[in-house]
Amino acid sequence: MRVTLSQIHKSFGAVQVVKGLDLTIQDGEFLVLLGPSGCGKTTALRMVAGLESVTSGRILIGERDVTNVLPKYRDVAMVFQSYALYPHMTVAENIAYPLKLRKVPPAERDAAVRGAAAKVHLEEFLDRYPRQLSGGQRQRVALARAMVRRPSVFLMDEPLSNLDAKLRGHMRSELKRLQAELGVTTIYVTHDQVEAMTLAHRVAIMNKGVVQQIATPREIYEDPANLFVAGFIGSPPMNFLQGSLSGGTFAFGEGRFAVGVEGDRRNVTAGIRPEDCTVTSPSNGRISARVYSIELMGDHTLVTCQIGQEYLTVKADKLAQYAMDEPIGITFKDAAVFLFDSESGERIRSRARVDAMA
Amino acid sequence: MMRRLFEPATVEEQAPAGKVVTYALLALWSLVVLVPLYWVLITSFKGPGEVDNGPFYIPFVDFTPSLEAWDFMLLQNYTLGPYLNSVVVALASTLLAVLIGSLAAYALVRIRFQAKLAGVAVFLILLVAVIIAVATFGVQWEVAVAVAGALFLISLLTFVGRTRLALGNSDVEFWIISNRIMPPIVAVLPIYVMFQQLRLLDTQVALIATYTAVNLPIVVWLTRDFFAGIPLDLEESAEIDGASKFRVFFTIALPLVRSGLVATFLLVLILAWNEYLLALFLSNAKAQTMPVLVSAQNTTRGPQWWNMSVLIVVMIAPVVVIASVLQKHIARGLLVGAVKG
Repeated sequence: MRVTLSQIHKSFGAVQVVKGLDLTIQDGEFLVLLGPSGCGKTTALRMVAGLESVTSGRILIGERDVTNVLPKYRDVAMVFQSYALYPHMTVAENIAYPLKLRKVPPAERDAAVRGAAAKVHLEEFLDRYPRQLSGGQRQRVALARAMVRRPSVFLMDEPLSNLDAKLRGHMRSELKRLQAELGVTTIYVTHDQVEAMTLAHRVAIMNKGVVQQIATPREIYEDPANLFVAGFIGSPPMNFLQGSLSGGTFAFGEGRFAVGVEGDRRNVTAGIRPEDCTVTSPSNGRISARVYSIELMGDHTLVTCQIGQEYLTVKADKLAQYAMDEPIGITFKDAAVFLFDSESGERIRSRARVDAMA
Repeated sequence: MMRRLFEPATVEEQAPAGKVVTYALLALWSLVVLVPLYWVLITSFKGPGEVDNGPFYIPFVDFTPSLEAWDFMLLQNYTLGPYLNSVVVALASTLLAVLIGSLAAYALVRIRFQAKLAGVAVFLILLVAVIIAVATFGVQWEVAVAVAGALFLISLLTFVGRTRLALGNSDVEFWIISNRIMPPIVAVLPIYVMFQQLRLLDTQVALIATYTAVNLPIVVWLTRDFFAGIPLDLEESAEIDGASKFRVFFTIALPLVRSGLVATFLLVLILAWNEYLLALFLSNAKAQTMPVLVSAQNTTRGPQWWNMSVLIVVMIAPVVVIASVLQKHIARGLLVGAVKG
């Protein structure tokens, strides 16, 4: 079912946590709310769940206005970061609890519980208590309990963040598969950009209570709307150089290079992703630099280059070998350079980039 | 050598000297607790002669035990009545106090109350006014209450809502515990008069109601911390799953604080079981409880120690049984597995 948030504000006392959130999640869509801690993403999710009242604004689930509706009448299911399993109930009782409250007849209930447990591979654990399960198994119980009653919307609050790295990767793919199979609209909150990029149909990046950009993971990565999005997405993060723009040339500290944007302005930040840069000989580079340090990551090498006072990381081949302080050149395509207004953080759109995309 | 005495061999252990002191203190305390129990037990098998003629401590050696007192108290006298009264009153009042008290504690932990101070003040002023009007000026009480109620409603609708000062949850909590600060002897006469007016003196109902009210603050104060310890996620999850607040309380919160609740139940049960002062005032024949009966053995012929001892032994027995049965339920770690991995 479609979920619509319009002009949602939320304040705790004098602190404004969510400022004018406008968001429409399409039926069956997997939307990830991504942002650093304290950006208001969890509060937004809790308002959709009904656990938090809105200060102003409206929330619709389908066509129904649920702004002032109690959680139990919203027909949403939520998976908590802590799993929130009922410790005094067995796995089967945990999963059956929502159905029991809805007075589903026992036979039907049992079948539904078995079905949900089978979906998350928990059939053998139905008689156990949560304390007898591992973290990953508890996570599955929470998922099974959420999907057993076929809610209109799934809400997930950092459901994978308590799992160890290996299990997290595994559960991520299972979660994506489950959501696709069930086709239930899902709002997923995380601070982990990998989860956001891999799971989402669309990502909404939030910062300080305001949505910065809503787009597909690819768009967010390849066409960030502002400095915050550009810096938040990508690992290692995008390189930023502070400088000014004049006559199609970006000038910074000890270097300058041509960019496809005309105009004269100060306080410009240029961003280039490490993987869009290449290390070449000093004479062939658009920027000349010196090698500051080099880190082998296994499948690639990170070369940190020093350009006067600035540093720039290049993602190079795993076989790359440089000596400390070796003079090198760095090259990149025009289209790889993003320009931002340093003060507002807004993107300075480059004509060249638009042409390249078209 | 000295070091070996005063320092433990490993971090988990106590130093040898510490051990000696610890066990000596424990042994001493055990004596303090157990000797009176032993005394009561053997005295119940004595007659007036054995008690009066000197301290005898070892049955069959010092004195010949007899079942005379037991026969007198349990078969010839009607002890079963007070005994049943005690059971009914203690169980009913404890169940009520624990139920109502835990509901109140849960509400105090999970719901924010903001009673306007002005509203409370108006209520108290009107209450005093009603009492004066009825008692001094002979106004019909129905009329006085109706007028006061109307005035209170009007004040709520007009100015009370606009005032700033409000009482919070901690104020409510303090008010509840403050009910226990006052010694019961202060309240016993008004309570007596109240039940007299209601024609409920010397009934189990009067004792149950009084004990419930008296023990409520203890239950609230003990259980509020248990409820506060439940992760909020669990209750929010249940609410999203479709549970009402009452459903959350009875199916999630209550089972999770079971061990604490059992301990509270036990404590309150013992308080009610042993209560003497209120029972002395509120009952005389039909609703008499065991503590009153025990003290009644202090007769004009002097204290009947042997009869008293029989009563005390039969009074202690069920508490010991209940405590040892319930002990199993006072298990810790019930919340393991609720949240986090």
